[in-house]
Amino acid sequence: MIVADQKPFHEIKGFVEAHQNILVAGCGTCVTVCLSGGAAEARLLASGLRIAFQRENQNKTIEEDTVLRQCDEEFVLPLLQRVKEENIDAVITLACGVGVNFLADRLGHIPVFPGVNTTFYGAVMEPGLWAEMCSGCGQCITHLTGGICPIARCSKRLFNGPCGGSERGRCEVDPQNTPCVWQLILDRMKQLGRLHDLQNFIPAKDWRPALDGGVRHTVRERIYRLDYKNP
Amino acid sequence: MDNRSVILPGDPLPNCSAACPVHTDTRGYAEAISEGNYEKALDLLLQANPFPSVCGRICHHPCEKECRRKEVDAPVSLRMLKRFVVENTREYRRARRQRIEPTQGKKVAIIGSGPAGLTVAHDLALLGYHTIVFEQDSQLGGMLAHAIPRYRLPLHALREDIDDILAMGVETRTACRVGVDISLEEIRKKHDAVVLAIGLSESVTLPIPGSESEGVFPGITFLWDVANGHPPPLGDRVLIIGGGNVAVDAARTARRLGVGQVFMACLETPEEMPAWQWEIQEAREEGIEILNSWGPKAVLSRGGKVAGMELKRCTRVFDDHGRFAPQYDEARTMTLDVDQVIMTIGQRADLSCVKETELAVERGRLMCDSHTLSTSEPGVFACGEVLTGPGSAIHAIASGHRAAQAVHHYLQTGERLVLPREDVPSLGLLPQRVASLARKMTRREAALLDPRERIGDFSEIESPFNEREALEEARRCLACATGARLESSQACAGCLTCARVCPFGVATVDRTAAMPAEECQACGLCAAECPAAGIALKRFATNQMKQTLGEILAPARAVKIWTPFLVAYCCLYETTSRKYLKPQSLEEIEGSGILRIMVPCVGRLSSLDLVEPFEMGADRVVVIACKEEGCLYMGSEELLGRRVAHAQKFLKEIGLEKASLQFRQTRGSAEASWPAIWKEVQHETAPESEKESLK
Repeated sequence: MIVADQKPFHEIKGFVEAHQNILVAGCGTCVTVCLSGGAAEARLLASGLRIAFQRENQNKTIEEDTVLRQCDEEFVLPLLQRVKEENIDAVITLACGVGVNFLADRLGHIPVFPGVNTTFYGAVMEPGLWAEMCSGCGQCITHLTGGICPIARCSKRLFNGPCGGSERGRCEVDPQNTPCVWQLILDRMKQLGRLHDLQNFIPAKDWRPALDGGVRHTVRERIYRLDYKNP
Repeated sequence: MDNRSVILPGDPLPNCSAACPVHTDTRGYAEAISEGNYEKALDLLLQANPFPSVCGRICHHPCEKECRRKEVDAPVSLRMLKRFVVENTREYRRARRQRIEPTQGKKVAIIGSGPAGLTVAHDLALLGYHTIVFEQDSQLGGMLAHAIPRYRLPLHALREDIDDILAMGVETRTACRVGVDISLEEIRKKHDAVVLAIGLSESVTLPIPGSESEGVFPGITFLWDVANGHPPPLGDRVLIIGGGNVAVDAARTARRLGVGQVFMACLETPEEMPAWQWEIQEAREEGIEILNSWGPKAVLSRGGKVAGMELKRCTRVFDDHGRFAPQYDEARTMTLDVDQVIMTIGQRADLSCVKETELAVERGRLMCDSHTLSTSEPGVFACGEVLTGPGSAIHAIASGHRAAQAVHHYLQTGERLVLPREDVPSLGLLPQRVASLARKMTRREAALLDPRERIGDFSEIESPFNEREALEEARRCLACATGARLESSQACAGCLTCARVCPFGVATVDRTAAMPAEECQACGLCAAECPAAGIALKRFATNQMKQTLGEILAPARAVKIWTPFLVAYCCLYETTSRKYLKPQSLEEIEGSGILRIMVPCVGRLSSLDLVEPFEMGADRVVVIACKEEGCLYMGSEELLGRRVAHAQKFLKEIGLEKASLQFRQTRGSAEASWPAIWKEVQHETAPESEKESLK
């Protein structure tokens, strides 16, 4: 899932200083799970903004709303409707960057501000701790590395073994919290009985399917542009 | 704010309510007590049972037998809590009495003023019928007034309940013996329906040799005479035959009349005795000797007077099917020298009121149908012990409720109502894995007088709980099925936070969160931590804190509240009186600048709950948790501490000083500790100018 951290309060507040009717939009999926942008956080942020502006004697209206996903038209429609009906003049979204874009595309002259910093695709290592597991590079090579990604989990994104900063299985960038991914790959391949595969050289990666190749799209033909829906 | 304890049709009942023959909202009144709302507790009691004062003293409390807390340590002392409520709401109770005008234009006669008869009268009066109760004695109450000894049930307690019923407009004809002073037929002619609630007012006698001797008393007659101030002269050694509750009552009564040695002889073994175990225990404490597994053979007499009793060994009381079929070893006998013998081996109805009527009686029993409560004659119903056989007061009350339903249906439709056999779904046992994680708290028992003091007279032997005791005991209630529930599956992201914070291992996630009501311990931690704000609590739903605060503060908007204005969240489980549980007046809030919000464990406050008061105008917020390790819920303290820290950090980012939100713990009693904490928080963090105004 996508992991995000809420932005510092003063930064968020700064975005909307010049606005009057503000909507804080939570997202009910990834950012809810990582406790940064669900309904509870949206309510807390809205309350915080009201308190802060009240203290400055600024009379603003701050509402909040949370939808299941801010990356689906059907789910964001009620939000768009609300913006229109309640004369909202700025939206702070606590969704990941996808939600920010998705709303911005649909809100015309109404500004949309990010309430979180979208950080990575990650997993829960233990309750309350998330770690990056994937970078969305567009061409997965984990079949070569025992299912462990050297792009997401190596500080240098090295493809063919560790660098000199790997010491006792830890990464020199943050030895305490980060294992060297090449140590992990080595151990895993040993477990799989495929250690010899690591003798094969992994060629330089084609980064075009990653961000370098421009904006990426995915089409699922089986539901894409159904004719009967568009007579 | 809280949608509490509303039992909806079809919901499984908490075990206590399911076990109660009248399904009293037991959980509801325990909760109302813990919130200091004794009046609401009384309302709940009276909703189900017109005899709370009686039942607060003598009910055999099946609720406690089934209480789910027994899996943790011991059941909640529910009967004593009930008694606490009636003892502490007398004025309110008198004020709430209301005359009900008969609007149905129909009259119902009830024969007998015991708990069953008066319950029918109560219920039918509520439905708008004109009800008239016929009682052969000069005093209302039936067995409650005449057979239950005063040391268990003082008359004034019975009177409290009866006065309520009479205040509704129920008419009575006391000292009126149906069949003698007025015929049943005449009553039938003058009324649209008749209910026979005549109880089992006669003792069964034993046809054994010598049973006609002077000094052999039927048990009920004995108790009746004592209750009415005419105790028979007794010698120094008295034997009670029987092992039921009436036998114990008779034995303990004899002891109080100065009899030096009181014996009870019964067929049953100690475990088989039908009397309640606590009654047997108390009787033993009072010096009563119980001879188990002995049956009566003959009363020995000298000059026509009782001189002793010959007993024979009882080898078995019940047959393999559990039916009463005693067997004896006639060769093993014993003789006991006694001056009197009191027979309490069973009861039967005095059916003189139905003599020379059309009502069918077979082998000395009134013919009636337990499903329709009807007799052989249309419009004549029966309830209470005459219908059900010997039972407890609360069973008689339940039977009265059913009879009122049957009569109402008959008077509206002319038809008999077939009342279904009650099958009440209950929550079942608390699973051991949950129970083992709940905090143990010692049950408070009723305080009884010293046995030597008890037998001196007929004074009540049991002291009621004081307020502190009642509040402590009420909070032992597990508040079954008032815990967390997912408001909508749509809101749930399946994030597992609930499962990760639940101290009882109850919350699980399978696509969406589930908190099984029968397991949830209502600590509220999952609701406080849910990032989707999707978990509601049936009791004290903090999701609506803002609305609640708004409601409290709305009238205050127009006036200036004393500053700095403090919102104090306090754990209501720490109180030892209702001083701080009662709702505050607006004047008090304005004058003190302190708004207290009582929360059943402050661990359920979410970060939003901690921040929102500032939005509503608070200058400071203090969370007062219970004493060190005093929390009912494991882990609650730690999570709350972390949440407070999170909210403090957030408030600091907003620009509020860190001290705006404080976390404190009760020291000693809440009443002594809290005012000091409130003032401290107001002073400590107040800027100089505000400190001035506080002086």
